[in-house]
Amino acid sequence: MKLKRGKLLVDPPASASSDIAFILIIFFLVCAAVQPETGIAQILPKTEEKTEKQEQSKNIEVSITPNSIILNGSPLKLNEFPLKLNAALSKKTRDEDRIVTVKSAPNTPYPLWIKISQVIEQAGGILTLEIESDRIINVE
Amino acid sequence: MKLPRKKLTASVPSFAMGDIGFLLLIFFVILARAQDDSHVRWQPAKLKEVEMVASPLASVTIDTGFKNYLDGKEISTDALPAALSQILGDTPPGKRYVFLKVHKEAKALHFEPIIAAISEAGGDLVHILEPEQPLLSQ
Repeated sequence: MKLKRGKLLVDPPASASSDIAFILIIFFLVCAAVQPETGIAQILPKTEEKTEKQEQSKNIEVSITPNSIILNGSPLKLNEFPLKLNAALSKKTRDEDRIVTVKSAPNTPYPLWIKISQVIEQAGGILTLEIESDRIINVE
Repeated sequence: MKLPRKKLTASVPSFAMGDIGFLLLIFFVILARAQDDSHVRWQPAKLKEVEMVASPLASVTIDTGFKNYLDGKEISTDALPAALSQILGDTPPGKRYVFLKVHKEAKALHFEPIIAAISEAGGDLVHILEPEQPLLSQ
């Protein structure tokens, strides 16, 4: 005797295809929207007015322009900067001596600025910004 | 003679409950993204050794036209510290994350006042950057 086999392949109902497409669109939209972001963190203590000018002059000073980096008055190339900064910071043991004051020219591009700030942090320096309005920002 | 009325009942089919629940979940997930600034156009700078960052309380963006946005709404640099302080409230230090998204062509005169404003509001600054891809050796 031959037994009848039931149909195993069942097509999804055509009426549901629009629902399926809609759910797929939303799924991919949400996936695209919740991509994790990457970056670097900097802890900023509150902005201070510049008062102790004498103490500031003891700090390591970095001036950034679009074409040059000046470390304590000596112009450097970008690839020389980490070595020279490490050397300058190696003598400093106390936290308050490891402050690096950064002064940027108004036309300094952001990618260059962020590279310099990363080098300073990796060297163990405490980044401090000196901006035009005579306000000091400490970046740890 | 009285004709019996046919009862018309409209019930939600129970097999659709899963789909309905799923759609509602997605709807609320999208609504919860209140800080949506996806309409602001900017390109991140690239840097080596970037890391995954925690979710922020606020997001400040400098767009391609060098305009400032706080959580997707345009804002002036002067108004930024007060607006940020209001958002950050009494959140303890270390959890007051503020994302800073600076268009890669921005200059110091654009982004330094913003950093000062975030500092003034006591925010924990996080620069949003793209990881630099290593050059492929030929």
